[in-house]
Amino acid sequence: MRHLLDRRVLFFGGKGGVGKTTCAAAFALAASREGRRTLLVSTDPAHSTSDVLETALGPTEREILPGLAGLEIDAAREARRYVNEAKSRMSGLFGPAVLAEAARQIELASAMPGVADLAVFDRMSDLVLSRAGGYDLLVFDTAPTGHALQLLRLPDLLSSWVEALTRRRREGLEARAIAAGADAPGARGADPVLGILEARSARLSAMRAELGRADRVAFVLVLIPERLPLEESVRAAHEFSEAGIAIGGVIVNRVLPDAASGGYFEARKAQERVYLEEIERRLPPVPRALVPQLESDVHGLAGLDRVRACLVAESQPRG
Amino acid sequence: MDGPEFWRNVADVFEGMALSGHRRQLRAEALELEDLFLLMCFMDLMGLPNPGALYLLDVYPYLVEEFHLWHRRMGFDRSPIASFSCC
Repeated sequence: MRHLLDRRVLFFGGKGGVGKTTCAAAFALAASREGRRTLLVSTDPAHSTSDVLETALGPTEREILPGLAGLEIDAAREARRYVNEAKSRMSGLFGPAVLAEAARQIELASAMPGVADLAVFDRMSDLVLSRAGGYDLLVFDTAPTGHALQLLRLPDLLSSWVEALTRRRREGLEARAIAAGADAPGARGADPVLGILEARSARLSAMRAELGRADRVAFVLVLIPERLPLEESVRAAHEFSEAGIAIGGVIVNRVLPDAASGGYFEARKAQERVYLEEIERRLPPVPRALVPQLESDVHGLAGLDRVRACLVAESQPRG
Repeated sequence: MDGPEFWRNVADVFEGMALSGHRRQLRAEALELEDLFLLMCFMDLMGLPNPGALYLLDVYPYLVEEFHLWHRRMGFDRSPIASFSCC
């Protein structure tokens, strides 16, 4: 999967337990070895990235190796930050009575389901759009498939909603200006509500546009050769393509090695061949990487290095 | 009252006669559009999912006044929504 080394943003995702975190960390390691300044970002609430790397990561960037930094987005913390920022933005602008009432509405809104998702998305947008830190590549280790999909679809969902609000607001202001006799609705730009809506709209469009750039952004599906992860990956591939996000590669993790022999392993390998054939046939025609089942589980840089070698091996045969 | 000002007043009177009904209608329309906007911002208060609620936290203080005018216009002396009592 060397072709993915020159992307700007990669998302690694798949069913829970298939080795997303390991593969994301191994790929980030590979990229940094190739001289790409890489930031590994975990959005999975399980936050196994620290465990895989045997390095404690936190909510701010921390260097793991030269050229490789990591951070774990803590959804609850981001949600608090998001709400507090909104409050501090308004604190200088309004009287205490208005603020007290607005604060209640804010508390109500921030207790709704989805606040964590939105805050994580907001942080993700910051990282993707601001390009702070001068990284060449951002590797996101996402939450299990359904959740990742929901997160990456947020800009689509939100932008149509915010655009509708912007339109209503503008129409209302224009109608009022005309009714008041001012033919030129020139004072329109002064409406702070419209200003906020338009800024949000612009940010969402920028994020949508970036996610749709197949030359810069890709989703890497990670699965193991078993029935349930296979079916989920087929569905995910379909849904991502509908959402306009390119699938850039498929990693088949924990493939039984040739060395495994004996009746038990022969039976498992026969079953595995069926799934590998299906993976070849039913998933999009993008490069594959096979990672064998190793003798021991993978943690620490030495283990990751073996996975890394599998991911960037030259011209791996497909299937 | 000198010449130009007199004629300006006459013009105002005619304009007012011609447009007052029209203006009233426009004002009503403007209010309806504003109500629709408020409804979209406060859908969660009506028990409807509001996908934008969190994205618009900093819009709410600007809308407290408009919300107040709305419930007065709808004939509620006090805010009809317990969790949003602007007065």
